[in-house]
Amino acid sequence: MSGQDKSLMDRLAILTDAAKYDVSCTSSGVDRRGNDRPWGNGRDADKNTGKAKGIGNCVAAGICHSFSGDGRCISLLKILMTNECIYDCKYCLNRRSNDIARAIFTPEEICTLTMEFYRRNYIEGLFLSSGIVNSPDFTMELIARTIYLLRTKYLFNGYIHVKAIPGADEELIRQTGFFADRMSVNLELPTAEGLRRLAPNKHRKNILTPMRQIQNGITQNRNELAIYRHAPRFVAGGQSTQMIIGATPENDFQILSVAESLYQRFELKRVFYSAYVQVNEDKNLPVLPGGPPLLREHRLYQADWLLRFYGFQAGELLDENRPFFNVMLDPKEDWAVRHLEEFPIEINRAPYEKLLRIPGVGVKSARRIVAARRSSSLTFADLKKLGVVLKRALYFITCSGHMMYPTKLEEDYIVRNLTSEKERIRFGSDGMSYRQMSLFDDGMFSREVTSDETMQAVMGQL
Amino acid sequence: MFVYKCEDSFESVFTAIYKVYENHHQREEVFLSLDDDPRLFSTVIEVETDAERYQKVIRTLRKQFGESDYERLCLVLASLDVEKAQAVFGTVVAGLNCGCGAGHLFDNLTDTWVYKAFKLARNAGRENDRYREFIRFEELESGILYSPIKPENNILLFLMPHFADRLSGENFVIHDVGRELFGVHPAGEEWFLVQGEPTAKEESVHGRAKSLSEEKYQMLFKTFCKSIEIKERRNPKLQMGMLPLRYREYMTEFH
Repeated sequence: MSGQDKSLMDRLAILTDAAKYDVSCTSSGVDRRGNDRPWGNGRDADKNTGKAKGIGNCVAAGICHSFSGDGRCISLLKILMTNECIYDCKYCLNRRSNDIARAIFTPEEICTLTMEFYRRNYIEGLFLSSGIVNSPDFTMELIARTIYLLRTKYLFNGYIHVKAIPGADEELIRQTGFFADRMSVNLELPTAEGLRRLAPNKHRKNILTPMRQIQNGITQNRNELAIYRHAPRFVAGGQSTQMIIGATPENDFQILSVAESLYQRFELKRVFYSAYVQVNEDKNLPVLPGGPPLLREHRLYQADWLLRFYGFQAGELLDENRPFFNVMLDPKEDWAVRHLEEFPIEINRAPYEKLLRIPGVGVKSARRIVAARRSSSLTFADLKKLGVVLKRALYFITCSGHMMYPTKLEEDYIVRNLTSEKERIRFGSDGMSYRQMSLFDDGMFSREVTSDETMQAVMGQL
Repeated sequence: MFVYKCEDSFESVFTAIYKVYENHHQREEVFLSLDDDPRLFSTVIEVETDAERYQKVIRTLRKQFGESDYERLCLVLASLDVEKAQAVFGTVVAGLNCGCGAGHLFDNLTDTWVYKAFKLARNAGRENDRYREFIRFEELESGILYSPIKPENNILLFLMPHFADRLSGENFVIHDVGRELFGVHPAGEEWFLVQGEPTAKEESVHGRAKSLSEEKYQMLFKTFCKSIEIKERRNPKLQMGMLPLRYREYMTEFH
């Protein structure tokens, strides 16, 4: 049955449902005022007021407009163009061999939906992805045509995030980039081996090629902008990617190293991790009776933040001999208790980079410490005001040479105090030693991530 | 002790700050009060708003502390706290005394009043950000976009520029239901605030006819919000933390 026979409502339900496993829903990285219109239509300004026609602006910090029942932010109208697909990736709901309802949107329908949702402040913009219809080129062209229409006919000035389809023509991807704020190519699985097993139609090389192309486009564009201030901007919000966690047997160290090299060698803005949700049954897929590995995903995000904002390197957090994150301690605490020779750190004198390494001190509180200690020396009571989480920090810091309480600078002692009684029993540890995660541990990822922890990760307070 | 009694407005508080300096009073012996509570052994000085004086103060604050810190001071005054005027005064004096540069007014958080002002500004600023996210416009019969809000802090003033920039071609109204304050933006023109009549309350929130397509788009958005959720990851507690109940009263997807 052709997808267009269904009502708009049904198709929206189908194509949203099909898009929901894409994690990225950020609208950040671009600051654009309402009358700053790079798409040429700034010239159709209203004759009376001088203001540009059209709608929309962008805020660099990004804006979340709602939160769905799973607690994830709804920032963009996240939909697929169509969920028909010629590929047969084993982890994907939309794989060719699945018997599910299929649907397709026309470009005009997507434009109208985006405009009407945006006017009502439901969304920050559009996130457009698609299953592969006919060929990568054909699909990419559909996407390109839609956002071209949205920018030039509907004069939409809000945020647009689109997928670059691996294998699509280079020129098509380049042109799309001039109308999008962010582009992403999904890495899908951390290693080429995993990809070969679960996504027989996709190849690592095909995924990395457009990624490199977008990176080069951004660099070239930066140089052009330095000379011509009004040159059209190419993917102004940078590019991102995502990996599925827990569908293949890679360890955390491998995943984090992949992420690190993506940040360094491909200059990605974000790498997203998506705990594998079992939607299909296949002999190559793991069975996860405890639900998606949410704690593991959470630890990866924590480590990701440490890489991007705290000056850590993947090799410091994990290595070949301890390739999995600790279940009970977050990656920074884990690093700190293994490097007690660096502590205690004197709050009133330590450089900013050192402050960032203290568990319980985040980017904001470290900045506030540096600013506040210019006028007077800080006490523990002051640290609390500055937003330092003393519960975690007190084992690692001194204020004017004093510790908060008499504590021991010993690994076991600190670990025992950092983890709660309940967790120690839960994980069968006596508190005197703590275990590492291993793939074969029972109940390894079954501790739930508390909402506090998730919120801290979202806000970047580690 | 000198108690400067001012009204709950930017103009009045800034005039009071000017007067303190005019009278050569010391920071320690001055209190800026917004209420009528009598204080023992103190001289009450009634502050009359004076355009020339407060404009001078505003100019100084902007020049000395920069735009963003000036805006934070204004956010403090938009909060509900009874001591907010004193917090602003204490912060400004501390800033002027240490001669801090632009963007550094709130550096010294060990100071009681600076910390207090910092907290109030953060609170009001957060609420402003939340409303920027969670406002839902409804299209009325006449094509005007209308959104009721019920903020704790008086943030409409800070909310309007964002939406005026974003929806410059739309006629829209944001209605602070608790204060009966309307932010009005005619398409393509400057926005302005209107103080409404308290009697118009019931009618203004409920008595408006929606446009023909409004229902359709509300339904579509609800469908979208429902479909986007991953059932295996259900986590209402996290949702509650990110989007507290008090914001949901006028949000389309929760009705």
